[in-house]
Amino acid sequence: MKKTSFIVLSTVAIFGLSGCGNAPESSPEEKTYSKTPAEVYAESCVKCHGKNAEGNPAKKGPALNDRQAGELELDLYDVKNSGTNQSSGTEHDIMAHNMKKLAEKGFDYDPKAMAEYIEKSFYKMEAEAAPVLAPEEAAAEDATQTEGEEGVEETPSEESEAAAEEASQEETPAEESNEETAEETPAQ
Amino acid sequence: MMKESFELIDAHLKEEGMSRRDALKLFGTGGAAALMATGATGCTGTSSNAKGKILIVGGGLSGMATAAGLTHALSNPDITILEPNELSTSYQPGQTLVGGGVWTKEQVVYKRDDFLPDGVTLIKEQAVEFNPDSNTVKTSGGKTIKYDYLIIAAGLKLDFSKIEGLGIDQSITSTGDHSPVSKVIGQNGLASIYFQQGSEDTWKEMQKFIAEAKSGKKVKGIFTHPNTPIKCGGAPKKIMYLADARLREAGARENAELTFYPNGSNMFGVKEYHDAIVNQFEARDMKWNYRHNLVAVDPEKKIATFNRHWEEKGEWDEDLEEYSVVPRSEKVEMPYDFMHITPPQVAPEEIANSPLGSGKGWVPVKKETLQHVKYPNVFALGDIVAVPMGKTGGSARKQYKVVIENLIAVMEGREPKAEYDGYTVCPLITSLSTIMLAEFNWTGKPTPSFPLDPTQERWIWWLLKVYGLKPMTQYGMLSGRA
Repeated sequence: MKKTSFIVLSTVAIFGLSGCGNAPESSPEEKTYSKTPAEVYAESCVKCHGKNAEGNPAKKGPALNDRQAGELELDLYDVKNSGTNQSSGTEHDIMAHNMKKLAEKGFDYDPKAMAEYIEKSFYKMEAEAAPVLAPEEAAAEDATQTEGEEGVEETPSEESEAAAEEASQEETPAEESNEETAEETPAQ
Repeated sequence: MMKESFELIDAHLKEEGMSRRDALKLFGTGGAAALMATGATGCTGTSSNAKGKILIVGGGLSGMATAAGLTHALSNPDITILEPNELSTSYQPGQTLVGGGVWTKEQVVYKRDDFLPDGVTLIKEQAVEFNPDSNTVKTSGGKTIKYDYLIIAAGLKLDFSKIEGLGIDQSITSTGDHSPVSKVIGQNGLASIYFQQGSEDTWKEMQKFIAEAKSGKKVKGIFTHPNTPIKCGGAPKKIMYLADARLREAGARENAELTFYPNGSNMFGVKEYHDAIVNQFEARDMKWNYRHNLVAVDPEKKIATFNRHWEEKGEWDEDLEEYSVVPRSEKVEMPYDFMHITPPQVAPEEIANSPLGSGKGWVPVKKETLQHVKYPNVFALGDIVAVPMGKTGGSARKQYKVVIENLIAVMEGREPKAEYDGYTVCPLITSLSTIMLAEFNWTGKPTPSFPLDPTQERWIWWLLKVYGLKPMTQYGMLSGRA
């Protein structure tokens, strides 16, 4: 029993000692993506989610412009991982399937970077515009995607137009929504 | 070297065993000593002179630990907690062990008032209305409380009402009034460890189930996992492992068929753990059937109805340049003798529907800093927060330190820089003496704290779970020290 005592005591001491200062050791594995979020959106997402992320019922693509990055990221995480919980499954069965295919075609993205891009470019604020220091902060954090962001930061509507050209076959009521975005942007 | 010694410890303990008394003694004194070693000065360094009225909604593990930590970190803390439930600080992770007959219910019941940190004001009411634009909260007693900073730690609700046929029309909390649910769950073969009384009743029902099997009757046990995020994602499986172990102990395993029916299509989001669990299920002849969501129960006839769902190949999609998939589903009925229900889980309605909530109810935050996406003076943590994975005491233990550090930064006019990395832990009980300590974070990879293969079931983790984690949580975390 003595040996056991010693062994267990030392183990417990280690458990206890790991309590404070949980400095994360492992540097996160840097995954690189061949396209920026702006490129992925313009070349792929736009087809079903619309030029201003307003959604496209014909393609069963929901609007993405009604949520801020924090909320959107959770959805994108769910899509990319087929769920956020052990065995609960995903709320996005179809999109989770599609996303695997799209990733194979090079339309992969970091959920956080993509969520921030969508918020910055398309988010339609509620009447009582509350939001906070989001844009600059988000841009600063997003070190890996700097290229794609230059134009996006200030001119979301141009970005949307570019997207519109890319998807020239879409016959969505693009003009209207584009104007809307243009009007709303300065407020951001 | 370290790895070798850990392997040695585990092997030694497995071989020699250890009496309950010895373990308790060692973990008790050892745990306390270790906590003192780290806890004397708290975790946050020197205290801050920042001022402001802090309101914490929810006095469970997350809320109380945050309050306690803040009292150490602020030199002039002004903290109020809203918590109507007198058992809010009970030890929920122990409910699995109660359900498996390892602990009694008394071992997990802890009174809120015993854990209220010195200097913190407790209002025994519920927050019922949130007005973040005017920084006010209304309470069930009609008070309006104005705050400078708000921390939401209100937990989640168990929503059995989403399952038809049970006759339950309201949601409950883990330790609050359970009477709307207990009239049907906890008898006639239906069980749920997700609420405190339910965990005690689970053991009663499980014993009846085992007695039936022992008498020679062929019996069926069903274990469900819903389509919502849940707290302690491993518990639906843990209680199944315990049922398996208890049946074996009674020599009646061959008369029972045990099947896991999760809504999702895997055992675990982390591949290494998924594979390990599949192997453990196979080794025990525990069956599983993915993509089944429990939607109705006939408690009289003992029949469960599941929504079975799958996808079929659809038409060619030109935009996707792939065949589309079409969702399909059908209702399937399964008879049971014993069914453990993991209920659908939701954010409390009054928060979900407030400006602080979200489409799905959970409080949306920047997932690293835990700061609300819209209101910079609001933070959230624990079961109610909208982050991937999480909803465990292990997550809360990492989150509350991040919230404290970031709140103080905001109070001092600095940027919140502390980051939560998604760490969570699932001590997956796999028998009456083993546990697989599944630790992971948003990288989707195992992140073991100890240099041991994390996919192995070990006796040492059983000791940790049964003797170590409770004192660490109740006396380390609830005092804001660990």
